[in-house]
Amino acid sequence: MKRAKLSPGERAVRIFGYILMILAVIVALYPILWVILSSFKTNKEILSSGLSLPEHFSLDGYKQALEMAPIFQFFATSLMISVTATVLNVLFLSMSGYIFAKKRFRGKNILFWILSLSMVIPTTALLSPVFTVISKMGLYDTKAALIIVYIALSMPVSLMILRSTFSAIPDELEEAARMDGAGFLKNFFLVMIPCAKGGMASAAVLAFLESWNEFTFALILTSSVSTRTLPLSLSYFTAQFSFNYTALFAAITIAVIPSIVIFAFFQEQVNQSLVAGSVKG
Amino acid sequence: MRKKEIPWIILFLLPTCAVFLLIFAVPLCMVIGGSFFNYRLMPKTFSFNGIGNYIQLFTQDKNFWLIFRNTLVWIVIHCVFHVALGTLLAFVLYKKPRGWKFVRVVYMIPNIISQSAIAMIFLNMYNPQYGVLNSILKAVGLEKLQHNWLFEMGTAFPAVTMTWFLFAGYTTTLVLAQCLSLDEGIIEAAKIDGASSLQIDRLVVFPLAKDMIRTTVIMAATYMLQLFSMIYLTSGGGPGSTTTNLPLYLYTTMKSTNYGYANTIGVVIIVVGMVTMFLINRVFHTREE
Amino acid sequence: MKLRKLAAGSLVFCMVAGAMASSAFADEIVINYPTFQVGANTSAPAIAELVNRFNEEYAGQYRIEVEEVPGDENYADKITVQIASSETLPPVVYGAGQKLLDLALQADAVKDISEAVDADPDWAAMYTESWEEVNCRDGKKYASSMESEMIGYFYNKELFEQAGIDGPAATWDEFFEDLDKLKEAGITPLAMDTADGAWCTQLLVGAYLASTEEGMEFLKTKYPTDYNNEAMINAMAKAQELYQNYTTLDAVGGAYENAANNFFSGNVAIICNGPWMISDFSDESKTEAGFADKVGAAAYPDSFVYDAPIEGMFVTKQDDPALEEAAVAMVQFFTSNEAQAVALDLSGMVPASSAVEITDEILEKYPLLGEFLSQASACENRASTLTGNMVPGLEDIWDNELPNLASGASTPEDFCQVLTDFAAANPAQ
Repeated sequence: MKRAKLSPGERAVRIFGYILMILAVIVALYPILWVILSSFKTNKEILSSGLSLPEHFSLDGYKQALEMAPIFQFFATSLMISVTATVLNVLFLSMSGYIFAKKRFRGKNILFWILSLSMVIPTTALLSPVFTVISKMGLYDTKAALIIVYIALSMPVSLMILRSTFSAIPDELEEAARMDGAGFLKNFFLVMIPCAKGGMASAAVLAFLESWNEFTFALILTSSVSTRTLPLSLSYFTAQFSFNYTALFAAITIAVIPSIVIFAFFQEQVNQSLVAGSVKG
Repeated sequence: MRKKEIPWIILFLLPTCAVFLLIFAVPLCMVIGGSFFNYRLMPKTFSFNGIGNYIQLFTQDKNFWLIFRNTLVWIVIHCVFHVALGTLLAFVLYKKPRGWKFVRVVYMIPNIISQSAIAMIFLNMYNPQYGVLNSILKAVGLEKLQHNWLFEMGTAFPAVTMTWFLFAGYTTTLVLAQCLSLDEGIIEAAKIDGASSLQIDRLVVFPLAKDMIRTTVIMAATYMLQLFSMIYLTSGGGPGSTTTNLPLYLYTTMKSTNYGYANTIGVVIIVVGMVTMFLINRVFHTREE
Repeated sequence: MKLRKLAAGSLVFCMVAGAMASSAFADEIVINYPTFQVGANTSAPAIAELVNRFNEEYAGQYRIEVEEVPGDENYADKITVQIASSETLPPVVYGAGQKLLDLALQADAVKDISEAVDADPDWAAMYTESWEEVNCRDGKKYASSMESEMIGYFYNKELFEQAGIDGPAATWDEFFEDLDKLKEAGITPLAMDTADGAWCTQLLVGAYLASTEEGMEFLKTKYPTDYNNEAMINAMAKAQELYQNYTTLDAVGGAYENAANNFFSGNVAIICNGPWMISDFSDESKTEAGFADKVGAAAYPDSFVYDAPIEGMFVTKQDDPALEEAAVAMVQFFTSNEAQAVALDLSGMVPASSAVEITDEILEKYPLLGEFLSQASACENRASTLTGNMVPGLEDIWDNELPNLASGASTPEDFCQVLTDFAAANPAQ
């Protein structure tokens, strides 16, 4: 296809787009650059300067971080808990999101509103009741406790996203599948899920990040090193009257790099699933 | 509704409802019930108080209305401008200009880094002695405009707002995914009809992405009804109560072990949340017609 | 339902696993001890050593399993949630500066250890008047301290010399004159802060309060509900003046870290803080080499020093009496004179028991500590800190009002009124 010459208006739109992209990149890179640079600075440099280069590059911060806190073990636990919670969350919420989007039954709206309440309950108010429930179930200091809580914490957002996603799938697809004699399960897993992959990947990313970064429940609900998660490791470096910011930022860097990689990977998945989807559709 | 689908519907809703009952139902009842009690850990008190807590909150609490207003202002800013920013970027990126994949990943990074790190970065940036902001003002000869940004009455509110305002990665990610899932054929057809790219955005893509935009607006509203650690770690809610919002007020009230009163604040948050969601749905609904 | 089953299933698994783990030492009682004294906390080496010694001494009988809860506030938050949920507390809780003893007492969760203490003469001898204030309620002994909060201030000798000041001031008039001298020599005199309880600032305010009789009485009040008194208003007026003329730009909004960094960097001449800071003076990631030699330590003017035992470890009520006994043994061990000597040696923690000797070895190891302790011992007036006595939650108000006081947006009278309003509405007793 021959490219049409851009009109002045179109060109302005395009330039505006590039400016916006550049600004977004600057805004987004500042924090991560600051964190990474700080992991090479001394405490004194961190507390006396803004965005500047460290005087000497040294890996001391990383060495100290790994000595002071069991970062690798926490890392493994975090990964296990976050992945499990994310998978279960997306599975459960795809199921209910599909029902809310495509099915009709009595009390549907009321049920949806009740579930939506979970979005507006202040997390702070959850702490002590959830601690009681988890203790009564005998789940204190287990990975299962955190997995259940993280499924719940990401529930509101996933519900919203997945309901929107399933609503956007044309009803005709389902009708066609039914004509072909597909049952409820087959229809859901073989027709609906492939079309909802984009939304599911988005929900998964958000659920994963929520679990990966959650601090308070991890603190309250666990006690042994084998159930602790990565965000707790960051507290090792700042006591009330003593601090090691170099090690802190080294630990933050260690925690954040995998998240970025996972996010980039998932985004690529969204892409591919969408491309594949549109070919099919 | 097909009769034989009913068991499936129940089965599909079951896990979600079970998680809700386990984690949210009990606290919900405790918050609402607890708001009618005078309940403290120190000194230990537990007595029925009727609507006493509500009367105190609405009529006697000197700070409440300022805090309430702060919360509403932040919700509006977040739902309108923050989402607009994220959506705008998504509309730029879905046309897949050069480097769009890079921007998509990079723009999400601030939302991935832990909040305490972001808070420290802003404390550093706003530092009156060596912070980047004041240094830049000095370098361009605008020393008069230098401030102790987070801790002066006049600048604290906008300064705190900036700690989350620009980081619209969630919105961009969600809206972008929705835009990308559109059938490219429709857009091509519109182009052949001679529509400009702005017209396509407005008339073709926007309506199809609207449902997801509504989702992000609701997410933005509920985010602002949950947010307190970022404020607590930067301005601490001060000076005075200038930058305190309802969730932070709930948190500090709980720290003073006044649980009954904290629950009352919790109920206000829940009601504000429900009303906000209702209004957002209303706005998007009327636009549909 | 599904989830409950899942939960029940893993519960059974945990119980089996737990039973298998504990069967190896059938009679050994395990004490789970959550502690914040880990990681960057300066007491971490001492606590680790004491846990080892305890486990050796009581091998086969008791064993401490440490649960690391890094961060003082995280620890307090966690214990508070457990109290609020009426769950059984860990057998031994360290009150520290977090008011946990009163909180746990209100929940009726603390065991009276008077009997065990009185059975051991060395232990009983520790309970002096200041100990009773901190660790006893209604004549019953509940807690036992292992560390004393003894706080003066540090000054930069080099900067003092440049300003022509011989040494630490003996009176407050002299102190403020010295501040002026420093200022005239182009040196910022004080490190101050407003965030995280404004630690350095509140120490200065409290010490100034102590210089009048009324102020001293107020400083000694536990959980005061009225800050509208002349001494407090005067002290806050002084603080306002100091914020405006004698400190760094980033004092307003700054936390301890920023204040400390200003001192480490030689930006300011004086910082109020306790001896745990000493090891940082030779930490080259925080300051330049040789900085430690420039630092002097002092008690406050008018013969005042902060000196009070830090609220100690207490035993909580347990279903199993044997576990309570184990917990008492642990508290006795950790707060014994021997243990406090170890803590002093390893982490420079000032002992709470007056029976612990400060040996020459210690003085050689921590010369600055020796210098400070000798000055402190000469002081006639002693009290605990101002913010340490505040009702729960008031510190947040204090933090948020200080910037207004500093900028002049509110007067000292307004400031004290705000504190009073909150404290009166939230009395702790």
